[in-house]
Amino acid sequence: MRTEDRHHWIVRVTHWVNAVALTLMIGSGLRIFNASPAFAPKGGTFCCWPYEGRPVPAWLTFGGWLGGARHWHFAMMWVLVVNGLVYFAFVYLHGEWRDLVPRRGDLRDTWAMIKFYTFVTKDHPRQGKHNALQKGAYFVMPWIAALCVTTGIAIWKPVQFAPLTNLLGGYAWARYWHFLAMAAIVVLAAGHVFMVFAVDPWSLRGMITGGENARFSPEARNARPFINLLPKPVVAPAPAAPPAQDPQAT
Amino acid sequence: MSFDRRDFIRYGGVTLSAALFGACDSSGPDSAEKLLKYAEKKNEGVERLIFRHTSMDHTKSNVRAAGDQFPSYFVSDVVPTLDAAGMAAWRLEVGGMVQKPLSLTLDDLMKLDRQTQRVNHYCVEGWTAVAEFTGVPLSALAKLAQADPKAGFVDFQSFDNGYHESWDVESAMHPQTMIVFAKDGALLPPAYGAPARVHSPVKLGYKNTKYLTKIVFMPRQNGGYWSDEGYEWYGGV
Repeated sequence: MRTEDRHHWIVRVTHWVNAVALTLMIGSGLRIFNASPAFAPKGGTFCCWPYEGRPVPAWLTFGGWLGGARHWHFAMMWVLVVNGLVYFAFVYLHGEWRDLVPRRGDLRDTWAMIKFYTFVTKDHPRQGKHNALQKGAYFVMPWIAALCVTTGIAIWKPVQFAPLTNLLGGYAWARYWHFLAMAAIVVLAAGHVFMVFAVDPWSLRGMITGGENARFSPEARNARPFINLLPKPVVAPAPAAPPAQDPQAT
Repeated sequence: MSFDRRDFIRYGGVTLSAALFGACDSSGPDSAEKLLKYAEKKNEGVERLIFRHTSMDHTKSNVRAAGDQFPSYFVSDVVPTLDAAGMAAWRLEVGGMVQKPLSLTLDDLMKLDRQTQRVNHYCVEGWTAVAEFTGVPLSALAKLAQADPKAGFVDFQSFDNGYHESWDVESAMHPQTMIVFAKDGALLPPAYGAPARVHSPVKLGYKNTKYLTKIVFMPRQNGGYWSDEGYEWYGGV
């Protein structure tokens, strides 16, 4: 039975599909951005971007050329949408959403985690499946994804969906929101990957094979970033009473 | 434990880096080409499905017209320009699957019912430019030429070194798709496609052929200058 896996196989598969597709999506999006790395309409100005006209480094981009990047972007968007729908359907139907939606007390627990990570308190707060910081990040991610899709539709079809594009402030603004939503995902994902390697590399196993070992949980290790990555040594059990006589030995 | 910590970090690392960096700094694996072509075809289906003649481009009143900041481009080495004799000889032909082929001088074109619209120009690169275009809706020319309703595609040809782009007829008949002869109240200068060009906010810039010579109604699409280079043929907005 694999029912005790940390993550159901559907969660694991959608997670890794998401990791690959999102990386390609961001890379191709940056290549598209670089074709015209400014938000102002021609002959106009844009208030809110200090780097108008400056492209992002080419090594961050994917797709090779504008047309190629557009093909990747418009193909990966379906992979991400379908993958996301499978994930949401599963999380909803299987009850996993209960581990992810905010509850009363989450703010307090988040504060407790921050105090622990900054050495204000000594002991790891109760971890549960996800600690409060993780819960916050995993809960916010889908909303930003929804923002990416909405703003993406607005700049993919600014005429066919003119009311949506206008609601976002017009094409230039919709493109700006799309860029910022991407940046928010990058920040969250970077924090996520950092925490995996700095606090809980054992969680990789949970996300690959599904298996978990309570001895390696961040709470059991009292783990902070780069601290207590290894589990506590197992204390040899104190010598117990002499073993009972094996009746067959005599 | 069958999978110790070292294994786990090793395999985890390999999996991650393969997933994240395997295909970077290139246009991706060649095997993806077919998949991307398939996705483009499917996307075209979706785009044609959501396309409406009632969906109109609006410009925000606070966005200024681009004026001479409107980028100019052409594929010839120099701006394709007609001299006086060239202008006199220029004709806009409407042919292919039509009952009454047309051959219009610029004067003929300018005598037709004209329309002026302030619209966005959407470039594939991501920028937009606002301009006020004056011209004749293509649907009016199609009616005049009695285009065959069975013609599903239209090709727009030019004297700019063979530049052309073909469209689906639905986009071509959109009320904002025009054969334009003036921009911002003045006749088109050579830099912007004189004497006449296609302009529509429902297609990306590269689909809007400048230096127009011929409009051909066709049963099949025949690609286009940038479409053949690998940009989306549909290029809808």
